[in-house]
Amino acid sequence: MSDTVIVGMSGGVDSSVTAKILKDQGYNVECVFMKNWEGDDDNCNAEEDYKDALSICDHLDIPLRSVNFSNEYWNKVFQHFINEYANGRTPNPDVLCNREVKFKAFLDYAFELGAVKIATGHYAQINESENQFQLLKALDANKDQSYFLYLLGQNELSKSLFPIGDIDKVKVRKLAEDYGLINYAKKDSTGVCFIGEQKFFKEFLKKYIPVKPGLIHTIDGKICGEHDGLMYYTMGQRKGLGIGGGYGLKEEPWFVADKDLDNNILIVAQGHDHPSLFHQGLEADQLHWINEAPKSSMKNISAKIRYRQDDQECKITELSKNNCKVIFNNPQFAITPGQSIVFYLNNQCLGGAIIDKRF
Amino acid sequence: MSYFDHSATTPIHPLVMEKMNSTSESHFGNPSSIHTSGRKAKSIIESSRRMIAESLHASSNEIIFTGSGTEANNSILWSLIYEKNKHVITSSIEHPAILKVLDSIAPFGVTYTKLPVNKFGEVNPRNLEESIKDNTGLISIMMINNEVGTINPIKDLIKVAEENNIPFHSDAVQALGKAPLSVKDIRADYLSFSGHKFYGPKGVGFLYKKNKSKLNPIIIGGGQEDQFRAGTENISGIVGLAEAVRLAIENLDKRILHLEKLESEFKNKLLQYSSNVIFNGHPDKHAPGVISASFLGKRSDILLAELDREGIEVSSGSACGSGSVKPSFVLGEMGLSENQNTSTIRISFGRSNSMEDVNILVNALVKFTNV
Repeated sequence: MSDTVIVGMSGGVDSSVTAKILKDQGYNVECVFMKNWEGDDDNCNAEEDYKDALSICDHLDIPLRSVNFSNEYWNKVFQHFINEYANGRTPNPDVLCNREVKFKAFLDYAFELGAVKIATGHYAQINESENQFQLLKALDANKDQSYFLYLLGQNELSKSLFPIGDIDKVKVRKLAEDYGLINYAKKDSTGVCFIGEQKFFKEFLKKYIPVKPGLIHTIDGKICGEHDGLMYYTMGQRKGLGIGGGYGLKEEPWFVADKDLDNNILIVAQGHDHPSLFHQGLEADQLHWINEAPKSSMKNISAKIRYRQDDQECKITELSKNNCKVIFNNPQFAITPGQSIVFYLNNQCLGGAIIDKRF
Repeated sequence: MSYFDHSATTPIHPLVMEKMNSTSESHFGNPSSIHTSGRKAKSIIESSRRMIAESLHASSNEIIFTGSGTEANNSILWSLIYEKNKHVITSSIEHPAILKVLDSIAPFGVTYTKLPVNKFGEVNPRNLEESIKDNTGLISIMMINNEVGTINPIKDLIKVAEENNIPFHSDAVQALGKAPLSVKDIRADYLSFSGHKFYGPKGVGFLYKKNKSKLNPIIIGGGQEDQFRAGTENISGIVGLAEAVRLAIENLDKRILHLEKLESEFKNKLLQYSSNVIFNGHPDKHAPGVISASFLGKRSDILLAELDREGIEVSSGSACGSGSVKPSFVLGEMGLSENQNTSTIRISFGRSNSMEDVNILVNALVKFTNV
């Protein structure tokens, strides 16, 4: 009997095409649908997604199983997500979800079910050379998801397949249509999976974190408005500040420049190019390398401080086991504590860390 | 494929199928129409009703057709919102078609007491007696539990209800075809049944409502089913349902004997080859052929997948909407540890299972669970 590969099946186009490609390659393919969030009151589409997954798997003649990881998600991802927001930071739950749920709980489960590899519909590539597994960017630069996968290690990469990592998204949709998959035109999921659309965000956070309204100051310390709670704002945010462009000297919009957590003050600056919105460097912790740690003298390193940002040239100036200091060649807009900085050497994702401070 | 999940649903009996098909082919009339086609359809429904009534020793006017067992349960509970006495006594291991409904009708003033069960899943009649309040308007306790097959002391429970003059309903969905069912013997006011649990069609069930017991309809419209359940009747479904009831009652002893044989063969063989199996539910007072078995150290969802790959179909816990397996609340209420709970599967034999099937099942279970 051929090797069993178990696909994490979301009911979306990417995981569906993933399953079909593997089946065509001759693997014994099974799919697992993960339910990671409980609750009827949210904007979670799990029920609809499950129906899609079921129809797709029936069409492809692949068995579909279900598993509930909502406890794992709640304890390992969501609690952290809430703590970070409560501390005024902007966390990235998808990064943690990958490490704790998809490439841990699901991976273990799949191996218990007899898999020799798992596969997901992530846009990234794995390259094996000399017993080292490297994480590479996707062929489709526009869709590359290596940013969300930087916390994976050798164990996870050695047990995973990303069959659509070398196909562009347009082609993936075309394949889905050719395969007769009902979801070929299904919208890509956006935003935080358990909250749904951005517009529900405020309402959602309010359920978990006490609201502490306060004042908005300009960078010079002048009071210019009131905020609803620091957790609702993120660095560089422009919309929703309630300060008209007419306020101040110029007809330019205002941006979140900083948060004074001790005094519960939101600090704003006018104009996208305001120097207070830019920083030359940052300190980050919870450092993780996919292969061995690079030397701090390493050249040609670049980094992304947010998903889909172009790679930014930088130098790692200080490096310990858990922390690093990074200086960018060009000042960076809205470096955001809680987000991840992910390091690259050309096409290869080296690892990353969580941004703590900027300077 | 080897199917051992007859408590979930059963395949339609060939004789039932034959009657349904010939009805569908020949009789399309609306039973409410007064012309020939309509009268014929109506007469078919009424003879089906008589067939069911005779099988259960009831009168025809005590049988109300519904769309499912769930609907039968719903109609009994929703009926209460129009009543003065809105307190319900039920058990903690009822089907969600009772427990969730009770939560749903709380805004209409309905309150309820959930009686605990012992380690076998039985309700104690003394607990029932003690829970009765001045405003108790209904007692609803299942006859046979769907997950472990334990049979409740239903006659003792009904006796308590009678002594206190409180209407008694029982969700008997798992009982028909597995236990004697005469309303002369089981003197409940209301009983819920579902066709597909005893080799009848899906999408049709019925409610037994004792003469003069009250029912406020929840589905209102063209006045079908004596005003109790409006909606144009599912003629072929009703014909199939009636035939399935007839077969279940006529062949009851034979079916029970067959199921008991399969069950004892299965248990003996399994105990012989497996060291870590525990059987849940009442050792004697349980539905024949329904077995809740825990394989300590083996997660039920993994076991289910492994069996599924071999074409062996059983079930575990209660599957929730999106298909994820969670610990069963029924086993939890019976006091099983979380570990045992999540290592438990339900095997429910049926009329077409053979001794050969039992061997296939035992071999597979031994292969996958002996660590």
